[in-house]
Amino acid sequence: MDESLQQLEDELKSLRLRSPSPQLVDRLTSELAAETEELAAPVRRYTTAADFRSWPWLGWRAAGAAAALGLGAGLVWVVFKAPPAAPEPPARLAVADSVPVNPAPAMERDQFRPVAATNVLYDLKDEGLVNVDGDTPVRRLRYRYMDTYTWKNPRNNSSLKWSVPRDEIRVLPASLH
Amino acid sequence: MEAAHAQDTWKLWFEAYGPKLLLCARQWTRSLADAEDVVQEAFVRYWRHQRQLPGDPQALLVTSIRRAAIDHARRESRRAAREEKADGGLAEREAFFAPQLGEAAERRREIEAALQRLPGEQREVLVLKIWNELTFEQIAETLGISPNTAASRYRYALAALRKELKPVHHG
Repeated sequence: MDESLQQLEDELKSLRLRSPSPQLVDRLTSELAAETEELAAPVRRYTTAADFRSWPWLGWRAAGAAAALGLGAGLVWVVFKAPPAAPEPPARLAVADSVPVNPAPAMERDQFRPVAATNVLYDLKDEGLVNVDGDTPVRRLRYRYMDTYTWKNPRNNSSLKWSVPRDEIRVLPASLH
Repeated sequence: MEAAHAQDTWKLWFEAYGPKLLLCARQWTRSLADAEDVVQEAFVRYWRHQRQLPGDPQALLVTSIRRAAIDHARRESRRAAREEKADGGLAEREAFFAPQLGEAAERRREIEAALQRLPGEQREVLVLKIWNELTFEQIAETLGISPNTAASRYRYALAALRKELKPVHHG
């Protein structure tokens, strides 16, 4: 490119472009507001609140955890051939090696209790349009969470933490876009 | 918190790229108002559905804007033709560039008038190359032409402008 064209190119580049009007920014703000609100508070198919009393799934998961602890306790007993006359409660056996700190008052029960639950959204993917029921186009969104549940034994301060990855797929009618 | 962050992110992004996208949209629309409609449609579509896609977001948005402009032109062709006939066409268009003062303002008007006289196919390549900073490969992909054709149109456009505009002598 010769020098005069280069000079012209530089001059064109130096021109200041017109900015979009404030009205356009306002329109975008209102259009994208719904998007950002959804991002902040996704509507869940089921509750995963931090208050463990509202966990609808607490019953069966706690039962599963208790069964796992019981199995672990049985194995410990078999391996170390503990005297059969004095079997310890499963909850204590599962944490038998942990050092008790801050001895709890005698009134506290020697068992694990759920104390916290968190879920972290670590990925959100728009998987595009798919057809359901043959010919209904829908947009499929995949939310990926890491759910973490914590149990604690107040008697000896031992705790148990369980993290489970979870995928949640939502479909939205394509007509909404 | 996350909503506020997302809001900030798109606003920051739009602040940086909005003027380029608007100028780009102006090449394919009849008025500034139409160009803003097109930018809005393309940007919302991009932000909602395409921002996770790989590749240069600027090029993706330019493609999206071009498609939105074509759709918009189809929808508005009858109304626009009526308005153009009534208003004399060019009078309806607003400036491509931000207003300036003094001699710079006169020069800006000369450049703008020269740009308007360029064939559309040359002007769009010039706009995409100079102000949207796309490569000839990206321009070719956006416009559905070969990179060589994009490069030639760019050279023809610059040469035509050079012919119309007197060189500026500084100092």
